[in-house]
Order: sequence, then structure tokens, then C-alpha cells
Amino acid sequence: MTDTALRHADDQASLEGVIKGEVLRMYQEVADHPDEEFHFFHGRVAAELFGYEREWLDRAPSGAVASFAGVGNPHLRSRLEPGETVLDLGSGAGLDSIIAGWQVGTAGRVIGVDLNPHMCAKAEAHAALAGGAIDCRQGTMEDIPLPDASVDVVISNGVINLSFRKRRVIRDIHRVLKPGGRIAIADIVSAKQLSQSIVNDPKLWAS
Amino acid sequence: MFALLEEAGMKRVRSVVVTGFRFRKPSTQDAAEAYGVKAVLFTAQKP
Repeated sequence: MTDTALRHADDQASLEGVIKGEVLRMYQEVADHPDEEFHFFHGRVAAELFGYEREWLDRAPSGAVASFAGVGNPHLRSRLEPGETVLDLGSGAGLDSIIAGWQVGTAGRVIGVDLNPHMCAKAEAHAALAGGAIDCRQGTMEDIPLPDASVDVVISNGVINLSFRKRRVIRDIHRVLKPGGRIAIADIVSAKQLSQSIVNDPKLWAS
Repeated sequence: MFALLEEAGMKRVRSVVVTGFRFRKPSTQDAAEAYGVKAVLFTAQKP
């Protein structure tokens, strides 16, 4: 590798670290202070905008609903069946995991993965309050801490766009899915290449 | 994302725009629309 290439790799790694920190800070903020306003809609208002059933939102622990920070409703297309194993990638405060748990039932299993161990603890506590259980593991989307071909369905809601390495994330989702396994992923996409000033801005990236 | 899913070997890749998604501030929403930023729900299956 040339000096220039090494410098670029160092810069990229440094920026990635800063952005990762900003992403953690932003979503921790939503979880800890759900009553505050953010530049995106969150909580029950957002969930209702995306068509989450009111019965789900009434039944789920209020903390899980208030901290919801998704961008869509994966449950509209997930077609979960009792007994299935579901991975919720970027499980946050746990609302989507809890709803998935209701659909797969006690014969099924929901595994959450989140970068933030505090969010994992929160999601597990919310699931317990909802009368269910999720197994949340601290880890990254790029190296999902699960064996090959171990899940039936991957759901995710607004987190893959936060990764610098989306190709690697998608490949790892493919790796952990069983043959015939499915995805239902809501995420943010851009039709145009974002300017470098946006790409390099940790606050905008985290949004 | 659509292309990445196909590249990874996923089949039956489908996408639908999340109509309810928008940013809270009109100025942010305007900027997002200028870049074609939208929320999309993807489905696909591993063969």
C-alpha cells in the first residue's frame, strides 16, 4: 500500500470511529430522553405514521414505544410464523423484537443485535415486561455474532444506512439466514450521491 | 441496497416506499427530497 493509500485508510478509519460514536450517542439520547424533539419523528407518533397496529403499541411497554426510532414497519411484510427464529438487527429499545416475539410465540425465538450494550439490556428488560424474552447480543451489523444459516427471518429498521460497510452488512445477513430465509428491512436510501460534506458530517450521518 | 441484496445472492428482491416517513423540520425534509432521500421497505429471500 502506498503512503497516500495508507493515509486515506487511516482517515477513513478515524472518520468511521467518530461516526460510530455519534450514532451511539444519538440513539442513546432517544432512549434516555424520549420526550425531547429530534429531527426525525420517533416514539408512538412515528410508529403510528408507519402503520404499527394500535393494539401492539398499547400492549408493549411504554418505554419501548417511546424510544422507537425506526423509519418504517418491517412487520407489514415479515410474514412471521410461530416457531421461527428472528434476528432483529439494530434492535434498539426492543419494540420490533417484542412484536416479532408475539408472532413467533414461545416455540420461536427472537435474537437482537445492537452495538450498544445498554440498549441490549433495555430491550431485554422491555421484552420481559411484555411477558416475553429476547436474547440480545452486543455486536456489529458487519460481523453479526451468530453462526451461518441460523435464522429464518432478519428484520431491521433504519440502521443499515448508518454503516460505512453496507455491502459487508448485506453479505453477513445472507450468511446468517437459513436457505429459504427471508428479510423485511426498512431503511433510508438516497437516489443521488450525497456530497462529501454530508458524508463526512457525523451528525448528519447519524441522522 | 436493492443491488447489494441481489449481489449477495438474495432472490425475489422487492422494495416499496414508506409513505409515512418524513423529517420533522420542513427544511430538513426539503433537503432530503432534493437528494432523493426516502425510506424504503425491502423484502427478499435466500435461495
